[in-house]
Amino acid sequence: MNIWNLLLSAIVTTLLGFIIGVTYMGIRRKIVALAQNRYGPPIYQNFLDILKFWSKESNIYHGVMHHLAPLWMIAMAITILLIVPTQYGSKFFENLSFNGDLILILYLMPFGQLGMALGVGQTGNPNSAIGVTRGLSLLVGSEIPFIMALIAVMIQYHTTSVTDLVRIQQEHHTWIMFSSPFAFLAALCVLPAMFHAGPYEVIIAPAELASGPMSEFGGKYLGTMMSAGSIFMFAKLTLFVDVFMGGSTNWLWLIVKTFTVYLFVIAVGIIMPRLRTEQAIRRLWGWPLVFAILAFIQVALF
Amino acid sequence: MNTLVVLLLILFGGGIIAYFAYNIHKIVGDIWLVLVGFAASIYYIGYLDVSQVLNIHLAGFVLTLALNSFSWIFGLLIAVLLPLVALYSIPYMKGQDRLGWFYMLFLFSVGGMYGILMAGDWLTLFIFWEIMTWSSYLIVIYRRSEDAPRVGLKYLIFSAIGAYSLLTAIVLIGANVHSLSISKFFEVLPMHSLGFKVLVGSLMLIGFGVKAAVMPLHVWAPDAYSTTPMNYTSMFSGALSKMGIYGIGLIVINLYYHSGISLAGEIVAWFGAITAVLATYYALIQKDAKRLMAWSSVAQLGYIVAGLGIGTKLSVFAGIYLAVLHGLFKANLFMAIGAVERQAGTTNFSELRALIRKMPWTFFSALISVIVLAGIPPLSGFVGKWMLYESMITSGHYVIVVFLFLASVAGFLYAFRFLFGVFLGQEEKEFEHVKEANPFMTVPMLLIALFLIVLGTFPGIMFKYIARSMADLGFYGVTYKMSVLTNDWGQSINMQYIAASLVIVFVLFLIVLTWVAYKNSRNVTTKDIHTSGEPPSEEDNYHFSENFYRPFQRAFAFVYKYAITPVYNEFARGIEDFFQYVRRLYTGNAQTYALYVLLFLAILFLIAKNIH
Repeated sequence: MNIWNLLLSAIVTTLLGFIIGVTYMGIRRKIVALAQNRYGPPIYQNFLDILKFWSKESNIYHGVMHHLAPLWMIAMAITILLIVPTQYGSKFFENLSFNGDLILILYLMPFGQLGMALGVGQTGNPNSAIGVTRGLSLLVGSEIPFIMALIAVMIQYHTTSVTDLVRIQQEHHTWIMFSSPFAFLAALCVLPAMFHAGPYEVIIAPAELASGPMSEFGGKYLGTMMSAGSIFMFAKLTLFVDVFMGGSTNWLWLIVKTFTVYLFVIAVGIIMPRLRTEQAIRRLWGWPLVFAILAFIQVALF
Repeated sequence: MNTLVVLLLILFGGGIIAYFAYNIHKIVGDIWLVLVGFAASIYYIGYLDVSQVLNIHLAGFVLTLALNSFSWIFGLLIAVLLPLVALYSIPYMKGQDRLGWFYMLFLFSVGGMYGILMAGDWLTLFIFWEIMTWSSYLIVIYRRSEDAPRVGLKYLIFSAIGAYSLLTAIVLIGANVHSLSISKFFEVLPMHSLGFKVLVGSLMLIGFGVKAAVMPLHVWAPDAYSTTPMNYTSMFSGALSKMGIYGIGLIVINLYYHSGISLAGEIVAWFGAITAVLATYYALIQKDAKRLMAWSSVAQLGYIVAGLGIGTKLSVFAGIYLAVLHGLFKANLFMAIGAVERQAGTTNFSELRALIRKMPWTFFSALISVIVLAGIPPLSGFVGKWMLYESMITSGHYVIVVFLFLASVAGFLYAFRFLFGVFLGQEEKEFEHVKEANPFMTVPMLLIALFLIVLGTFPGIMFKYIARSMADLGFYGVTYKMSVLTNDWGQSINMQYIAASLVIVFVLFLIVLTWVAYKNSRNVTTKDIHTSGEPPSEEDNYHFSENFYRPFQRAFAFVYKYAITPVYNEFARGIEDFFQYVRRLYTGNAQTYALYVLLFLAILFLIAKNIH
């Protein structure tokens, strides 16, 4: 593999991921506003926000871990975006997808969250720490049905690599969401929790509480974090599309598929009221777990 | 001279001399301790001849000392930890009395561990097992705290249960196989009946399981680990518990898998998985850093037992890797807790506040160890976790892997609890005087942390030894690469690319962010925070430490309802009642005793009459 080619494609992929992710967030704000009978900001508002954060002059410094926190996030987000296969069959956009192991991707996600949690911890803001404990508790809720769905798929197709899963789906012209419907349902149910959206937004509790992990970050830190967040969001959507919806062969198709999934997350978020942490965990261990067990039974029987 | 004996002489002789050296002066003793530590370590790694065998004929028994590649790797772990812990102990134990006694037992227990690893027959193993148990028991009760007698008794009772079942198994082997040699035993085993195999195996697993703290034999571990001085706990949890793992590895692989009862191995794996889940759940509600890490030890050992229990090539490989890794990072974590205890005077989460600025190096090594513990890439913990999960998925154990995954996700919770509770949060005036620990304490910790970082990207450094030890367990042709991990289905990951990607992005943005933000940076205290217009005053402290995972506890209330300790207590009370009843035989009346004698003679007469 050519190292320069890899670097170039990594930069292009990251930029595309950034642009798409931030646009999605803008669209989300617009849709939520329309649903609440507001006019809402323009779609490109989040670009302006990030630009504004980066041009802030003063900078609040709480210590080393606080300084490093956004970096863990962005390192994790970009690495996952490079590992998840974005384009099936494209030599240029191969990136690190030969490393596309599902367990690896699942374990990379806490890398950013841990860094963020440490940064939040050093600020000394109790509300932020409470947000982190909520986030970690929810992680237990969402991760278990999700990993069960993934394991069911892995065993069914005899591979642990998301790249292989995309290849199998493309070659057989099928989507895993049809061949293992229960695994798909389980993953779909926990999807809002993985985006900290929908009824599972107790971590950041937007709109009425000045709390949540982000509250002590401002200016460039928040700008970096927002960029990382949007890249990470797009990477997660791509992962979901790759595993269950056949991946894609070009960027347009990828955007259509990921946006459809994202619309689902937005819609659930608009409809459902927020849950308390323990309610959220119980709900995540309810139907999603049932679907996941059904997926296991399906794998065991067929 | 036989090199195995020399190593044992260094440790046992060194222990006895340490006793006198500390009675002369503390400095003499410290120098001697470090010398013994380094001598044993260097001798083990550099000069030990693995091919040597020593037979001692004693009272009709043949005691054999012989090392193999499987036991060698556990010895390597001890050899790495021993000099570092010895260095760490110098400032840690400053100001304590009876140091000679303490270090004599310390070196005896290390010698006992080496003896177990060298044992070529069950009797030798048992002798050294008891030496190790007794010296560690005396160290557990070394600190004359309020808790010590109770904790020590608990440890002793469970150790005794383990020792008796081990001894029963050895007697059974002696009676049926007519030889106590370990290798001979495994050779002739397939010829014996299923009942014999299961009985001996279960008894041995109880014996070894006590030291490996497998549920439900774990009850002693959280107390004993947290009561013992931290420099010994790092050996206790790091190395001594691995003796149990060593034994379980021997039994599960040789007795179960190589003689065709793989179901028993699966049951062992299930015990390990349930231990991992429940111990994790208990770890995250602990209010003390020591107890949290003690429970975490129990949980981590559960993973290792599960890996060995599955018994495929990759899972055993992962189990051994995790065993060595756990020895390193858990020793490091207990050292860090010891440093905090020494400098700040407490390890209670509700008292500790924000030590990160005061003890940055301790924080750094604790952070690295916690990342390894949580299994987050690109550090070495992930390598072990990956191999373990993939081995289970590829061999079709997909229910057990979900349990382990649950334990590991819940493990993030206590990992953050530990780091936040000790090092982060709001600063407090009370801890303003706290300084970084003595370099003798921080340097060993940093060395281990550095090794753990390197091992994440280049795990092949250790794979070399593990692959060799696998041959002794009957897994031939184990292949490995420096940084590429491969599962049984042929999928692989390359740790170098992952580490490179993470590090490059991290450093790139670090430079940019520091460059842009440096000029107008304003350093603020932990009191200068956003609190919705209610700035905290000087006396207020908004540190978050009580009911840390309350929502989680509420959601999983059904798990916390049950505990095994009341069951044991109930059992003990039952036994006590029984003996209260038996005691009534001793009435103190001479006539009753005369009646007993008469009855006994009558029974004897009846029996004698019926036996011709």
